[in-house]
Amino acid sequence: MLATQLKYDLLMFSREIFYMVFTIIVPPVTYLFMGQLFGDVTYAGNLNYAETYTPSFILLITFGVVFFAFGFDQVMNRTTGVEKRIILSPVPKRTLLLSNILRSIIITSFGYFLVFFIGLIAYDLSFQPVNFVLAFGLFMLLNAALLIISSAIYSLFTSMNAALVFSIVIFQVVMFTGGFTMPINMMPKFVQVIADFNPVYHMNQLFIAVWNGQLEWNAATLQSIGFIVIATAISLLVLRFGNRLRKSSLKWYPTTRNRGGVVQNESNTGH
Amino acid sequence: MEIVRVSNLQKAYGDNKVLRGIDFKAEAGEIIGVIGKNGAGKSTFLEILMTLKPYDDGNVLIFDKELQALSTSQLEHVRKDISAVLQPTQFYKTLKVVELLKLFKAYYKSPIDIEQIITDFKLEPHRKKYFDKLSGGWKQIVSLAIAFLSEPKMLILDEPTTGLDPHMRNMLWIYISEYNGRTGSTVILTTHNMDEVELYCDKVMLLNEGVNEVFDTTEAILSTGYKSINEFYLSKVSI
Repeated sequence: MLATQLKYDLLMFSREIFYMVFTIIVPPVTYLFMGQLFGDVTYAGNLNYAETYTPSFILLITFGVVFFAFGFDQVMNRTTGVEKRIILSPVPKRTLLLSNILRSIIITSFGYFLVFFIGLIAYDLSFQPVNFVLAFGLFMLLNAALLIISSAIYSLFTSMNAALVFSIVIFQVVMFTGGFTMPINMMPKFVQVIADFNPVYHMNQLFIAVWNGQLEWNAATLQSIGFIVIATAISLLVLRFGNRLRKSSLKWYPTTRNRGGVVQNESNTGH
Repeated sequence: MEIVRVSNLQKAYGDNKVLRGIDFKAEAGEIIGVIGKNGAGKSTFLEILMTLKPYDDGNVLIFDKELQALSTSQLEHVRKDISAVLQPTQFYKTLKVVELLKLFKAYYKSPIDIEQIITDFKLEPHRKKYFDKLSGGWKQIVSLAIAFLSEPKMLILDEPTTGLDPHMRNMLWIYISEYNGRTGSTVILTTHNMDEVELYCDKVMLLNEGVNEVFDTTEAILSTGYKSINEFYLSKVSI
């Protein structure tokens, strides 16, 4: 069942031009294009273009996939009534969730290797096995954090149009304040302030450092880790609170009535 | 064999009490039409039977199981025997008809051959079309084909023929009647088309002001002097 669901989830993703453009096409093309413009520049940490922007664009793809194909897709299915029809079928909810998560991991991993190979071919990106493995491990952790954050944010939307506008705007905001276009310290002050509150910016900084074997346990690193952990924790709380709120407002099935002495508990309602 | 038993069912949306104590019963093999004006609570009633909506009070027994007492896995088990055509009909828009059938065959672990379903429902010309690109009538046909995939004991149809031309409406009813006759399944539906109720339904439940004002066989209603179910409806329901 999981394999079938995953197969069709991947198929649906490949047929959504909107998702494909924003996740698999735009970031690698931008990576190539920017490389032509700034390929000779040296960045923070004495890193060249490929060393700085290969991990950045991998993260940008991950962000796009998780926010569009995972988060926005949930809103779309919820608001169009597809979710209702699926709920009516006997497929376990955990199968659907697991398939969604696996889909995101597969597509983002594809993006990871796509940008990596473009870097190898076009910009002589060096391959260091230890750093590569460590970076992939961190990439998975960041993937998990983004899935939680995205899930929490999109759980708040009840309109597809609002979610769509938000998605497009947030993509632009993250592009500019996440350090994906040019170094944040070259940006205006207000952009730098926004970047400080952008978890994706902190993810980007950590990922670049691990990718290049430059991670140091200093205040900046701890601040970035702390910021990501706090954002993820808040998202988990939003999800938990949202679920509780939904249960109490919907009261899917009667839970506290006393009928013939039988008082049922919410936990065995199945919702 | 009793499939559904509902007693004193109550449901409100905030202060708006939609269902004020519904009593209802459905036996195996019956086709029951639920009628009433817009906003009477027909869809709410059906969605409760589909296990999609909560209710505030009363009892709902489906296949002898009280819904509120079921665990998640028990509820999923009950859903194996229920299928539905919802209003509006929605499925994954970027899947083709044949892919949707395969996906739902997996959901229901159905032994039915997809090719047989495609032949039975005359879906061959549409098998490679995206669901989103189908006309309203064919969407309903595909939805019904998917509903039949699970060989449900109870089929729930929420205004299945609304917006369909007479040919598509006729086609849909042929499938429903044939399935009902062949499998002895129970069909519960809402509709605003009283001719369909008169032609195809064994029983009629009239929802008015949140209560089932009438719940009787179509024959019994007509035997009280009404020339048609349409006349019965117009006399009972005011604007």
